[in-house]
Amino acid sequence: MAAPDLRAELDSLLLQLFQDLEELEAKRAALNARVEEGWLSLSKARYSMGAKSVGPLQYASLMEPQVCVYTSEAQDGLQRFWLVRASAQTPEEVGPREAALRRRKGLTRTPEPESFPALRDPLNWFGILVPHSLRQAQASFREGLQLAADMATLQIRIDWGRSQLRGLQEKLKQLEPESA
Amino acid sequence: MAGRGKLIAVIGDEDTVTGFLLGGIGELNKNRHPNFLVVEKDTTINEIEDTFRQFLNGDDIGIILINQYIAEMVRHALDAHQRSIPAVLEIPSKEHPYDAAKDSILRRARGMFTAEDPPYSQAAPPQACPQSFCEF
Repeated sequence: MAAPDLRAELDSLLLQLFQDLEELEAKRAALNARVEEGWLSLSKARYSMGAKSVGPLQYASLMEPQVCVYTSEAQDGLQRFWLVRASAQTPEEVGPREAALRRRKGLTRTPEPESFPALRDPLNWFGILVPHSLRQAQASFREGLQLAADMATLQIRIDWGRSQLRGLQEKLKQLEPESA
Repeated sequence: MAGRGKLIAVIGDEDTVTGFLLGGIGELNKNRHPNFLVVEKDTTINEIEDTFRQFLNGDDIGIILINQYIAEMVRHALDAHQRSIPAVLEIPSKEHPYDAAKDSILRRARGMFTAEDPPYSQAAPPQACPQSFCEF
């Protein structure tokens, strides 16, 4: 590749890198704001429920993640994170008709539920009727998780851009050693 | 093509971990280690580092959220992590606001415009960096 083409590509990469950095900082500011809102809401919840009522003592002994990240390859070949929220599983509801049918057929073996626990909202760890501030805290941290996935994608892009930039700079040095 | 689902891990103070667990990231069952660590006053740096390395080496973790003041305790392990997955995100804590100068990712990016990536403890003030980037 000729030096002028390399320089043009370098400039383009650099501009994209700055754009990604700016976007990363904007997402980071938003994440920090959501997290701070979440802390404030947790403090309000603690004020109404009691100091020791919102903390590790209330964590469930069995937890199943409601949120996962999936990675996929974008068109430019870079990994991208997608946040996926699992829906809570509801138990099968048996109406009166179905129950009668089952009785008619005799004792039938109903299919056993799968061995993993049904997804349970973490809010339930803290009681049945939780204050609104605790729900607000959950909403803030949920928004923060989406921002975290976006930031992770941007970090991958920035790392890639950085390594591409270094590679092109090396090539340019080899082509134009006198200008290095 | 989508890969397998990965977990989000968190290493932080009580409020940070409680908050993100409320968000639904927690995994804890009889067979596996939890994907979170609450750092308290008596939590040792070795425990933090062991947990961090466990999260890095497990193939089921996609993102690690860590309070920046805790990241400072294991900065050497963070700086040595060069892979893109799991992604490590530094977040503030109540007592320690976020400082961009300490973030591993941003220091690496800044290192492109100054000397080769210096260790944080030996970092010289940035020289002649582009104005917009210096705002970090």
